[in-house]
Amino acid sequence: MRKHLFFGLLLATTICGNSFAQSDYPTLSQTAQRIQKLSANHAVELKTLTKTAGGKEIYALKIGTGAKDQKPAIAVVGGVEGYHVLSVELALQFAEKLVGENAKALESTTFYVFPNLSPDAYAQYHDALKYERRGNAVAIDHDRDGVAGDNGYRDLNGDGLITWMRIADPMGDWTTSKEDARVLVKADRAKGEAGKYRVFKESVDSDKDGKFAEDLTEGIAFNKSLSYKFPVFEPLAGDIAVSQLESRALLDYLFEQWNIFAFVTFSPANNLSAPLKYSAGDARKRVVTSILEKDQATNAMVSELYTKTVPAKAFQQTNQGTDGDFFQWAYFHFARYSFSTPAYWNPEYKGKTNAEANFLAWSDSLKQDTFVPWTAIKHPDFPNQQVEVGGIKPFKLVNPPFEKVGEIAKQHNDFILKLAAMQPKLEFHQLKSESLGNGLTRITVDLFNNSPLPTHSEMGTRSRWLRKLRVDIDVPADQLISGDKVKLVDSLGAFEKTSFSWIVRSKGPVQLKAGAPHAGFATQTVTF
Amino acid sequence: MKIMNIKHTVTALALGALSLSSFEVSAQQENYFRAIGTPHQPKVEIAWNRYYSAEGLWDLMKKIAVAHPKIARIESIGKSVEGRDILTLTITDFASGKDTDKPAMWIDGNIHSNEVQGGEFSLYVAWYLTEMHGDNEFVKQLLKDKTFYITPTINPDARNNFFKEPNTASSPRSGMLVLDNDGDGKNGEDRMDDLDGDGHITMMIRKSPTGRFIKDPLDPRRLMQVGPDQVGEYEMLGQEGVDNDGDGEVNEDGIGYYDPNRDWGWNWQPDYIQRGAMRYPFTLPENRAVMEFVWKHPNIAGAQSFHNSGGMILRGPGAEEDLNTYNREDIRIYDAIGKKGEEMIPGYRYLTVYKDLYSVFGGELDWFYGNRGIFTYTNELMVSYLYFNKEAGRGNQEEQLKVDQLLTFGDAFVNYKEYKHPQFGTVEIGGFKKTFGRAHPGFLLEQDAHRNAAFTIYHAYHTPKLSITEVKEEELGGGLKAITATIFNERMMPTHASQDLKYRIERPDYVTLSGAKVLAGFVVEDADMKKYKEQTHSPEKMAVANIPGMGAVQVRWIVSSGSAYSVTVDSAKGGKASWKK
Repeated sequence: MRKHLFFGLLLATTICGNSFAQSDYPTLSQTAQRIQKLSANHAVELKTLTKTAGGKEIYALKIGTGAKDQKPAIAVVGGVEGYHVLSVELALQFAEKLVGENAKALESTTFYVFPNLSPDAYAQYHDALKYERRGNAVAIDHDRDGVAGDNGYRDLNGDGLITWMRIADPMGDWTTSKEDARVLVKADRAKGEAGKYRVFKESVDSDKDGKFAEDLTEGIAFNKSLSYKFPVFEPLAGDIAVSQLESRALLDYLFEQWNIFAFVTFSPANNLSAPLKYSAGDARKRVVTSILEKDQATNAMVSELYTKTVPAKAFQQTNQGTDGDFFQWAYFHFARYSFSTPAYWNPEYKGKTNAEANFLAWSDSLKQDTFVPWTAIKHPDFPNQQVEVGGIKPFKLVNPPFEKVGEIAKQHNDFILKLAAMQPKLEFHQLKSESLGNGLTRITVDLFNNSPLPTHSEMGTRSRWLRKLRVDIDVPADQLISGDKVKLVDSLGAFEKTSFSWIVRSKGPVQLKAGAPHAGFATQTVTF
Repeated sequence: MKIMNIKHTVTALALGALSLSSFEVSAQQENYFRAIGTPHQPKVEIAWNRYYSAEGLWDLMKKIAVAHPKIARIESIGKSVEGRDILTLTITDFASGKDTDKPAMWIDGNIHSNEVQGGEFSLYVAWYLTEMHGDNEFVKQLLKDKTFYITPTINPDARNNFFKEPNTASSPRSGMLVLDNDGDGKNGEDRMDDLDGDGHITMMIRKSPTGRFIKDPLDPRRLMQVGPDQVGEYEMLGQEGVDNDGDGEVNEDGIGYYDPNRDWGWNWQPDYIQRGAMRYPFTLPENRAVMEFVWKHPNIAGAQSFHNSGGMILRGPGAEEDLNTYNREDIRIYDAIGKKGEEMIPGYRYLTVYKDLYSVFGGELDWFYGNRGIFTYTNELMVSYLYFNKEAGRGNQEEQLKVDQLLTFGDAFVNYKEYKHPQFGTVEIGGFKKTFGRAHPGFLLEQDAHRNAAFTIYHAYHTPKLSITEVKEEELGGGLKAITATIFNERMMPTHASQDLKYRIERPDYVTLSGAKVLAGFVVEDADMKKYKEQTHSPEKMAVANIPGMGAVQVRWIVSSGSAYSVTVDSAKGGKASWKK
């Protein structure tokens, strides 16, 4: 009776949950509920990797069936930037659709989904004071003056949003844009243009050092604190790479998952609408800072797949990675194929060249409320100057209105599944067993990678953290007359094969096995 | 009355015992005479001609802390991979101030587990300072001014493995994490095998018609290569072991391939760039414990790490790519201390890692300097010069055979002996023991430990020492006064290395005036030309970017009242100083 009642309640909440269509990006408690719901699925293994300094969970979902650690895997990553709330929703929707309508993909591929790696920062989207936050909840002295977080933002106009402040000052560097008077641009001094404003994030100089909002009351940014090109001593990066609970917990977990062959990260960086560029000089240096040549070719191929699947044009996209970020770490330091996309760009509108003017023109056309008009306020640090607060509302430039997310998610789910379909695929071909007489048999076989992707990124062939292909013949040592019982193969290229030969003194059958967790395994029974 | 009686008896007994034992001591004392430079009748007796396991070191460290409670304390700063404590001795005169209020010297050893004598050398520093404190004015003053944090082994697990398990002189270099060295998906499945059961992994040779070696007829320990036109008798099969996993290779997957000295978070690079690196900086708990301790002790201004071997006093940069991290001002100080070290330790040369050794990322000394602005040396202990006062070069086999003939009388070598090998048939096993070559023989340990200890003491001595040498008052009229304080640093090291200043690693030094109403405050840029730099915010607490070595800074205040005022200096790496009117 009680059980029935409980079940009934559960059903009711589920129905209710679905009937209220989500109208905005979810809160952390809503994402937690969705993650818990996902974990009820038999294919989903949910793990809490750690709790952040702010007490928030870092979740990992491993989604797969059967021998899921032996199948090649793709890791889908959201929330590497706390302000990029879209990325969390995309990662979650990918997982939700995967266990629902796309479950067939689990037959050959395992997926890891890390929905949110910056929950402390993400929470700011729903806080009473909203601003685009990157850092977690640890106390950090960003301006290195001996006191942590002593000059953060201040909501000067009391609207609950951190926007900008402009101080009328002929010595300032900024002036208004010709494309939209609301937008501020740097005065073109080379063309003799005068400045009109000094511009800062909404703040007061609380530590009296003449600088504004230079020592934020937030901690380390996940996407600026990993080990590739770690920007040591910079604000939001800290003094040591991978210093935070969440970054260490994630990496410790990833280093134990040998089957990941590719990452898809939703982040401001982009190598999908256009591939990374190859520089022979930078690729040759001891500290490699260019994608390697063969990997560039793979990137270009995947990029083409992306632009065919996701029609949006990457308007004014310039970020192909920033120092200490996650997407470059996954390639340069973890040696996996690594792809990143912001997943959304504001459409190009009415030929505006300034990104903000373009955004406002487009947003105005949809009658959206995305701008805080410049309004005079009294500022304690500029008692005798005109100070106005205003600007584009936080989050609006990088995150689309929530009602657009469904379509974006669908396109990106398609892309990830197409990428999975390309995964390395090892097969045995041309198997021959020839009797040499007196109980001796020669076995020859080709191992073929039936995939447009090499089994190892070129970077991966250099790394210890990708296993080599291991070829085993299952006969006792004394029955193996020639050939290797265990043979390690560095990699197989796209549609490449390699041949093996053994002589055995065996009546058979004999088992062959070849592969690596990130490339999958092929098995073959030889009977003679 | 009865109680009284018992008490008397107890006292009498105690007195008797005391007089008896003091009688014995004084009788013995007549036969012991103080040798210069060595603690006489130390409270903790330590034999400096043998090696100690991790537990052996800790036992002695604990004895030091118990015997010298006013100047030595012991604590665990973290745990190793196998759960052992990382033990640190803090040595300072606690009566003259908290350890963290004084400029400090960090000393560790044994980051590479086979480089064992760093443990004994570090311990020697602690022993020497504590036992000499009562007898020696220099040491007494040093412990008033400075703090020493001494961690003899930051790799206790594999230190024990080196001694207690079969090894070569070069194994293990890592800690005890077992990894997949050969990349076949299995961890540590083909380790070395001590076939002759003597605790040493030596060499296997085999008689062979195609061998290219013969045994020297004058010295059968020595294998000689035959000429291109000569027939040999032996072939080399490599280190003692068998193919345990049947993959056709011997000893190819031992304990982890990693190197704890590629794990430090300054310009850290992954394994494919820097072999031996782990997952990310400070993956290893032993190093993380040190890093966290250093973070909590910003008073650490100098550091010393003991390795072996080769007789080197090394400074960074470790990597050529870090050349710009070390600039001329700091190199002058490195040079001054390092070159003094060459004089103090015969046979040792002062060198720079990236150009004289190898170019390497993720080393401990680069982290200490690059990330924390701490002047740091790595000493490669033991140099063959100590054998015969000759430069025979590192790992010179001819010389080593001679040492074992003339000085150690065969103790260093396992003579070749036949062994039935399951895969190679009849082989012979022999060679130098693991504790020879890189490690000091017993009779050289104490002297070299003392000289290296003296070098770190010299280094520690030159961490900053601040004093307020002058406070000058000028009447400005109208009830105003100018007060100028001079703060002198009477040692070579600045309070902030130039690397520190470049990145603002450590907070500035604060010079505070209290007991007077401050109207304005300045850092004096040129006293003669009256050039002052004003600090408008909280002028009573002046922030000074740096106090240079063997140099002074001046700060100046304009005050409107206050006759009984005081000046205090508070520097993270330079300690504290005060002055009172």
